[in-house]
Amino acid sequence: MSSARELVCAVDDDPSVRRGLRRLFKSAGFAAETFASAEDYLTREIFQGPICLVLDVRMPGLKGPGLQEALEKRGACEQIVFLTGHGDVPTATRAMKKGAVDFLIKPFDSGELIEAVNRALGRSKEQLRKREQRREARGRVDRLTPREFEVLRFVVMGLLNKQIAAELHTAEKTIKVHRGRVMQKLGVTSVADLVRISQRAGVSPARNPA
Amino acid sequence: MRAIAQPLSGGMSSRWESEQGRLDYRPFFAALVVFAAYYLGAKIGFALTLRPHPVSVLWPPNSILLAALLLAPVRIWWVLLLAAFPAHLTAELESHVPPTMVFCWFISNSCEALISASCIRYLIDRPVRFDRLRNVGIFCFFAAFLGPFLSSFLDAAFVVLNHWGHDNYWEIWRIRFTSNALAALTLTPLIVMWSAEGIAWLGKIRRPRFLEAGLLLLGLLSVNTIVFYKLAPTADSTLLYLPLPFLIWAAVRFGSRGASAAICTLTFLAIWSAGHGYGPFSTRSAEENALSIQMFLIVMSVPLLLLAAVIEERGKGEITLREREERISLAAESADLAFWTIDFERKESWMSDNGRAIFSFDRDQPLSRELFLSRVHPEDRIAMDEAIERARAASQTFEIEYRLLRPDGETRWLISRGRYLRNDRGEVSELIGVAIDITAQFKADLQLQLQREEMAHMSRVSSMGELAASLAHELNQPLSAIASNAAAGRRFLAQNSPELEMFDELLADVAADARRAGDIIHGIHNFVRKSEGTRRPVNLNGIIREVLRLLHSDLLGRATSVETQLAPNLPMVDANPVNLQQVLLNLLMNSIEAMQSKPAAKRRILISTRCEANSVVTSVRDYGGGLPKDNPDKIFTHFYSTKPDGMGMGLTIVRSIVEAHGGKLGAENADEGARFFFSLPVATKKETGEVA
Repeated sequence: MSSARELVCAVDDDPSVRRGLRRLFKSAGFAAETFASAEDYLTREIFQGPICLVLDVRMPGLKGPGLQEALEKRGACEQIVFLTGHGDVPTATRAMKKGAVDFLIKPFDSGELIEAVNRALGRSKEQLRKREQRREARGRVDRLTPREFEVLRFVVMGLLNKQIAAELHTAEKTIKVHRGRVMQKLGVTSVADLVRISQRAGVSPARNPA
Repeated sequence: MRAIAQPLSGGMSSRWESEQGRLDYRPFFAALVVFAAYYLGAKIGFALTLRPHPVSVLWPPNSILLAALLLAPVRIWWVLLLAAFPAHLTAELESHVPPTMVFCWFISNSCEALISASCIRYLIDRPVRFDRLRNVGIFCFFAAFLGPFLSSFLDAAFVVLNHWGHDNYWEIWRIRFTSNALAALTLTPLIVMWSAEGIAWLGKIRRPRFLEAGLLLLGLLSVNTIVFYKLAPTADSTLLYLPLPFLIWAAVRFGSRGASAAICTLTFLAIWSAGHGYGPFSTRSAEENALSIQMFLIVMSVPLLLLAAVIEERGKGEITLREREERISLAAESADLAFWTIDFERKESWMSDNGRAIFSFDRDQPLSRELFLSRVHPEDRIAMDEAIERARAASQTFEIEYRLLRPDGETRWLISRGRYLRNDRGEVSELIGVAIDITAQFKADLQLQLQREEMAHMSRVSSMGELAASLAHELNQPLSAIASNAAAGRRFLAQNSPELEMFDELLADVAADARRAGDIIHGIHNFVRKSEGTRRPVNLNGIIREVLRLLHSDLLGRATSVETQLAPNLPMVDANPVNLQQVLLNLLMNSIEAMQSKPAAKRRILISTRCEANSVVTSVRDYGGGLPKDNPDKIFTHFYSTKPDGMGMGLTIVRSIVEAHGGKLGAENADEGARFFFSLPVATKKETGEVA
């Protein structure tokens, strides 16, 4: 499951807890790093691969929304597993709403923690993959000329060549040529693939005809 | 006449005191009495003249005036003198004395009374009474000697200048002197003693005393009659002393009143008989007879008056002593005191009745140090014995608190105070002491102490309740670490890749964390357990660190930072560590609460310790809202709380703990926030032999 390109970072103010977690993650085959505070973690260079952050809720310094914001700005794709000394519902709810993968109560079951870390890494990997696909799709869409792009937007709307030609006040034949070029540049053979890649690249359909 | 309404002497005077503001008729009454008495006295004086000798043997008016002056306030003396003048005038003119002579005599008589009265009133506090030796001595000197002595010079001079009579100056002086001296001795005490409280005194005495007085009077009259009327003039002169036993009887049994009355009786009978040619004083010339009578009577009356005074004084002293003893025994009974003395020289001992009841000694059981010690609780016996021994050696008072184990098995708490007395030779002669039964007080104190401990305990439990979540977190830290390490270890083993060095570290961590968890649980247990344990020398810096560990998670959870400025080499204080933890915990939790509404960056607490003049001062300063401005001390009252769910007992408990340790708790507003501080006395070296 694990790969060298995955990283687990634990943040806890208690050195003994930090050592315990590092050993646990290492025994599970993860690359693990520990930090005494969120601030410490933020000084680390951004890790590009799948990464799981194990955070103690009760920590001195930065925590909560502030930390969340700081993490987003950096653009890494950390998935967070929270640890807490006592599992009060409001705290857990807040954490989960903010997108935490899991919320474990200390002392936690190490199997559960590892499972949660795996899930977090999976999500992180998934997030990375999606991000990669979007970038790739964007790259292809970027190669289209403006006219081709316009045609694409009408195609994703589901218009026929004739209809598109009417919209653009041009000949149906011309549209057919453009469409062929678009399919070729985006590397697809079916309209279904064309729609999917457009969605990934975030291409919005043209406005609906009146 | 309002000025008269002032304290006067004795019974007469007390009647003068009341009725302020009204027209006071009493000076007029007194003037009337003086007028009548003076007139009567003058008449008696003329009657007691031994014919053909022109001078009276006893001249009462001067003594009557003196008695009036002694009884009345100085302010109305002029009224009395004014009242005496017409009486004097009337009586003298009736006796065909020339007016100039009458006037002169009034001057000399008034002088005598004024000299005597002024001196006596100056030396004797009002009311003037002749029941003390000192007073009688003063009276005899001034009234019976100095007054007549000085005024007689004036009197004799007047007589010679007016060519009244044919005697020479010194003859007249001598006759006047003895006559007035006798009158002063005989009449003045009688009038003063009987007019002041005589009537009331008569009302107080019982019937057997009246009977005795009657018998005495009868005996005195019979003996006097025999001596002065029935005896032949040539009879043995020692028979003159026959009345003496009766006079002494009067003095011994009836005090100065009886003595003055008896002297008066004797005087009148003696003079009367001589005047009528009877008895032993009728043999020689009138002049010689008069002198003999005077000398006889003066010699008889002076010692008798003194004797009566001595006897009365002693009687009063005994009454005072008895009253004092009664007061002491009343105090002893009501305070549950046991008085006791052991006289080593006379081999006597005494203990008050309730003392014997407390110690459960038999009524006549002789006391001894050993007997006392046998009742003392065996655990306190040595300390008691040592305290007594120290007191004996150093001649000091010992005071010791101890338990008494009575034969019926009951234990009582007592405080004893005692002292050894030494005789003239410096030897220990007597041991006196008092013991107080403080069992009730002791039990009440114990009850109070228990209640205080109970309350403190409840407060600790409630503090722990408030901290439960934080403490759980605190405890979960080592447990999580242990769990992580254990799971990691098992995984390493399963992967068959055990690095021994790493395993060693891992297990060391597990052990350390287990210990840490144990310490936390131990700390909580110590803190909430019921018994507070005992006092011992503790370092406040250590206590502060322990409390900060308990609060660590809570401080984190509430984003509150704590700075410490702990003085190095802080002296120890004698205290109960749990109590001090509670004090700090309550103060810190108050500070944390006080800053809840402040932004997280401002939430900080500064704890400092320092040594200051034999005490250790600990201060907890926060940056919260501060104390109530109007009345900062309000925070120390019971049930006052700024927290919605606060009981308002926290600071009360803190204060009671600090004060129970002999310290002081204070609070003040700082620039921003409040500062609480408490001082505790530096522990002293234990004194030898703690007294139970």
